[in-house]
Amino acid sequence: MTTVDYQPLRPPLTFRDMLWSLAAKREYGLAVLIALIVIVVSFRSPSFLALSNISDLLVYCTQPAIVSCGVMLVIVTGEIDISVGSMLGLLTAVMGTLVSSKTALVPGFGWPVWAAILVTLGLGTAIGIINGLLVTLVRIPSIIVTLAMFMILASITVKIMHRGNITDLPQGLRWFGIGTILGIRASIWIMAAVLIGTWAMIRYTPLGRRIYAVGSNAHAATLSGVSVMRIKLFTFALTGFLVGVATIVTTLGAYDNGIGQGFELLVVTCVVVGGVSISGGVGTVAGVFLGVVLLMIQKPVLIFLNLGPGWSNWDKAIQGLLILAAVLVDHFAGRRKKPGAGGGH
Amino acid sequence: MTTQSAQQDNLVRVEGVSKSYGGVKALSNVQLDIRKGEVHALCGENGAGKSTVIKILTGSVMPDAGQVLVNGRPMPLGSVKASEAAGIAVIHQESVAFGHLNAQDNIFVGREPRIAGLFLDRKRMLSETHRLMARLGETIDPYKPVGELPMAQRQMVGMARALSQDCRLLIMDEPTASLSTRETEVLFRIIRQLKSEGVSILYVSHRMEEIFLLSDRVTVFRDGQYVGTRNTPEIHQDELIKMMVGRELLQVEGVVKSEAEHAGGKTILDVRNLTRTGVFRDISFAVRAGEIVGMAGLVGAGRSEVARAVFGADAADEGTVLIDGNPLRNHDMEAALAAGVALVPEDRQHLGLVLPMSVAANLSMAVLSEVTRAGLISSSREERLARELITDLRVKTANTRLPAQSLSGGNQQKLVIGKWLARKPRLFILDEPTRGVDVGAKAEIYKLIRKVAATGVAVWVISSDLPEVLLLSDRILVMRAGQIAGELSRQEATQEKVLALAMPAGTGAAAA
Amino acid sequence: MDDQTRLATDAGKAIGGGEGASYQPPQLASPSFVAPTLTQRVGPFAHELLLFVVLVVGLIWAKQIAPLFMTVTTQQQLLFNVWDLALLSLPMTYIIITGGIDLSVASTMGLSAVVMGMCFQLWHWPMWAAALMAVVTGTAGGLLNGVFVAKIKVHPLIVTLATYSAYRGLAEGLSLGFASLYKTTSVYSGFPTWFTNLGQKAFFAGPDLRHPHWYALSAAGWLFIAAAIAMGVVLAKGPFGRTLYAVGHNETAARFSGLKVGRAKLLIYALSGLASGLASLNNAAEYNTAQANMATNLELDVITAVVLGGTSIFGGRGRIIGTVLGVALIHETREFVSWHYHDNTLIRLVLGSLLIVAVAINALLGRRSSRK
Repeated sequence: MTTVDYQPLRPPLTFRDMLWSLAAKREYGLAVLIALIVIVVSFRSPSFLALSNISDLLVYCTQPAIVSCGVMLVIVTGEIDISVGSMLGLLTAVMGTLVSSKTALVPGFGWPVWAAILVTLGLGTAIGIINGLLVTLVRIPSIIVTLAMFMILASITVKIMHRGNITDLPQGLRWFGIGTILGIRASIWIMAAVLIGTWAMIRYTPLGRRIYAVGSNAHAATLSGVSVMRIKLFTFALTGFLVGVATIVTTLGAYDNGIGQGFELLVVTCVVVGGVSISGGVGTVAGVFLGVVLLMIQKPVLIFLNLGPGWSNWDKAIQGLLILAAVLVDHFAGRRKKPGAGGGH
Repeated sequence: MTTQSAQQDNLVRVEGVSKSYGGVKALSNVQLDIRKGEVHALCGENGAGKSTVIKILTGSVMPDAGQVLVNGRPMPLGSVKASEAAGIAVIHQESVAFGHLNAQDNIFVGREPRIAGLFLDRKRMLSETHRLMARLGETIDPYKPVGELPMAQRQMVGMARALSQDCRLLIMDEPTASLSTRETEVLFRIIRQLKSEGVSILYVSHRMEEIFLLSDRVTVFRDGQYVGTRNTPEIHQDELIKMMVGRELLQVEGVVKSEAEHAGGKTILDVRNLTRTGVFRDISFAVRAGEIVGMAGLVGAGRSEVARAVFGADAADEGTVLIDGNPLRNHDMEAALAAGVALVPEDRQHLGLVLPMSVAANLSMAVLSEVTRAGLISSSREERLARELITDLRVKTANTRLPAQSLSGGNQQKLVIGKWLARKPRLFILDEPTRGVDVGAKAEIYKLIRKVAATGVAVWVISSDLPEVLLLSDRILVMRAGQIAGELSRQEATQEKVLALAMPAGTGAAAA
Repeated sequence: MDDQTRLATDAGKAIGGGEGASYQPPQLASPSFVAPTLTQRVGPFAHELLLFVVLVVGLIWAKQIAPLFMTVTTQQQLLFNVWDLALLSLPMTYIIITGGIDLSVASTMGLSAVVMGMCFQLWHWPMWAAALMAVVTGTAGGLLNGVFVAKIKVHPLIVTLATYSAYRGLAEGLSLGFASLYKTTSVYSGFPTWFTNLGQKAFFAGPDLRHPHWYALSAAGWLFIAAAIAMGVVLAKGPFGRTLYAVGHNETAARFSGLKVGRAKLLIYALSGLASGLASLNNAAEYNTAQANMATNLELDVITAVVLGGTSIFGGRGRIIGTVLGVALIHETREFVSWHYHDNTLIRLVLGSLLIVAVAINALLGRRSSRK
């Protein structure tokens, strides 16, 4: 037996764990790639590194980053959720309708902001729970459930928004998107809170560990007394709740019925590029956040590089190529060590 | 030993337990006593019923009859929770439940220590992990995903989990199968340590050396029946082997050719210096037309792996495989199939059959082009083929359109064999052809194998069932630790000689 | 084999049909008998029957409340809208039967259309060459998916998610990028009449164009019918179809039995790309427009149609006839809702609910699909 370099008396350094998760391969590669991009761009146009621009970039990231935390956990348990895009659209429409005044061009209910927020979060959670129940109780594959939910929610949104765009938004609500605390945008604070909260939940609660246990080996998890059903239900509900949070931090001053289109696949892309395994059990908040940053900075980067008028239209193509690149890196560069998840299937 | 004191010391007592699977008796009326703080070895050949007893003890299988007493009180059967509560834990070869999680998390999943009912008590988890590891006398990186640890350390994690549950009986199923010699030594030290702390250990192994080194008492099962229990120091190795192998040989009609007759046969398979790093090395042998070559060895000796490499399912690092004198491309299953190699794999449920598809579809799967007319599968041809094979092989099925999964194990195995027979192979590799097959079907499969060989096919049978190898083979190769340890002719081969070759060096000599 | 069993096999052959036939012999000697599931009792085509009944009842009801909707002329007019969906659903059935998925089909259509438009309008290729180029582009796109799935062995969901973005992005980059660079258009149109006729005119319509024969269909319609029959027969009876089912149930066993699994996968994804190329021609011809956002979100409708048609998302189960019924149901629902209620927004609500209900009924009736 090889001697392990390890002292039994080492204190429980949580910081070490953080470093460890950062040093894991995908996170490292993403960080280097992002750093390279930032360096190249800022050489070409130094204003890229201006504080206001960095703040703008992070604001871009808020919605996908917040929702990715939930979708990551769903994927870690071995399921998938592609209803988040139209859920975002619906929640935005509902929230906008509730807060806009009765006298507006498109009249709403004129509710106070706090009530609308509560309803938004509650509705998101409820939709997540419905997704989760259909997956766990009725045993419909999650891709079918969330595909159907995607269609249903998109349809309801258009129904709500058919009278026109919602433009009459109270300042109290807009504060969550564009207001500042200590000079930093409120939406960035909220994103940071969600990221850290998710990280802490994974790291410091039994619930977090059980989510990974279920994804690693559902059969063994059941034998260890973990309810696979409840864990999966929780991840779907949490995703719904986080879509609610993402709805609130929107920076938009007017809502139309196109909000959230393509968002579900963007989120799944971020999560996959961030190193989460589609077969479950693997994924970190750091990786997912870097995945979000990489995908969200490319459009501004194309603009800043100022390569010519046609270049900003290539962002979607680059998004797709990034996934293929991630996949190829995994395949050729030594294939990431696959932990032998014993037993199970 | 006096029966009186034995009764008092008994921790776990299995009484009159029987279990059958779909008409096949896996256990009939067996008993097993395990005392407090002893290492109790359980041995027997494959199919003796060891794993079924383990499953009953851990609550994952419900026996048909009998009871299990723990400290004299009957334990509720068929419940994993009840077994856990009774302090019974098991460590399998692949003992790690959650490969993606680190050691601490693995140990505590489902029973995490908490702060304020919500947060993990990471401090306690870590100190507990250290305490358990100290108790095992080992050091393991508690932060690394367990799937990335060496096999031996993964077992430590499994043991630590068992200990953290206050386990009183630890069942170890072939724990050394994938360990190196040094790792094995560490494991033995830990077993002795646990024993001294009063934990009982049920040690399941094929390896004589380990049984004599470790155990206080040994129980032998044979064909699902209890043979006897002995104090290990009082029994000689020869006697133990006799208890294990003293089994009726099945009689199979068919002409056995002499060595000389085969010598004239054309060489079909010629394996030269085949090596797969870390799995097997320098394997050379040949199989001639009409010959049945048996391959014996312990579990983990690398026999199935050689077969997979010859079949092209895995890559070989060195060496060549020739069929009819033509070299096969390395790691190319299609080339092997085209050259006439057929493999009946050990894991027939996953590799051999497409269980939800019909009997006919499975039988025609390897010869689809032969039942195809004008680009479409002809139902009448397929039906004819299926019925011919079913009649030939005496498969018991109501019709050819039933899904393969509705058949019994023996009949499923006949389907796999039939699938390849339809293809008229040159070389027929059978890996554990009668595992999980009842006695009646076994005899039929033996007859079938003989019949196939008689038509001039080269047959290579891999089996851990000694009587089976002796019965079928014209020649026996014995593998040990990834190498061919020796070759025996039909005349000279006995169960003892084969076992002696298969056992790790040093211990085998005494038996022979 | 004794006479009784032999008899039973004969009867089984006479009565039972294809995969998983329902027939059970009167007397079972074997103890390994499994109780027939509901699907087996009702017959192997229970799902298709159910769909058919729902479709017929729905159409009768539609005729009651909207008589004009259920006339031959109206239905023929509406049929022009279905062929993109219909063409794509056929290879998608193959793919889902193997346990895979293709999210990139609609994006591939956009890319093919843009390539065709650029060839025709910017570089002045003859129309036939531009159309051929669209088909080649589509097939190449599908082939690339196939290479990633079959050779590099990446999960199809990931591969086609990537190409879903990549192909649509290429289409946008090429058309919009070119447009802003050289101040040209990014929406291509003005195709020759012979080409637009392919998507706008019915063939075999008869002398009176206002009252065409009931069997008059557009080019894509005839193509779909031919392809559906051919692909249905290959799936049910061909060795290739057998391979697809075997892969869907147990890929390793299929490989160990000598079936050419990699080749089959490569082929079905390429086929899917080919269908996308052809569908893009039909779409461009029908609207006399080719642009990057062609058929946005159509992939989800296609998957819905296939799953609604009874194909299991886990692979191993499904038929072309079911897919055809699924497409028909989606088409009629879609058209009726927009015809009668003048409300396109309701369509997806109805379809989504239909999908959940259909799959839930299947799941609850104990057609237990083994997860993973």
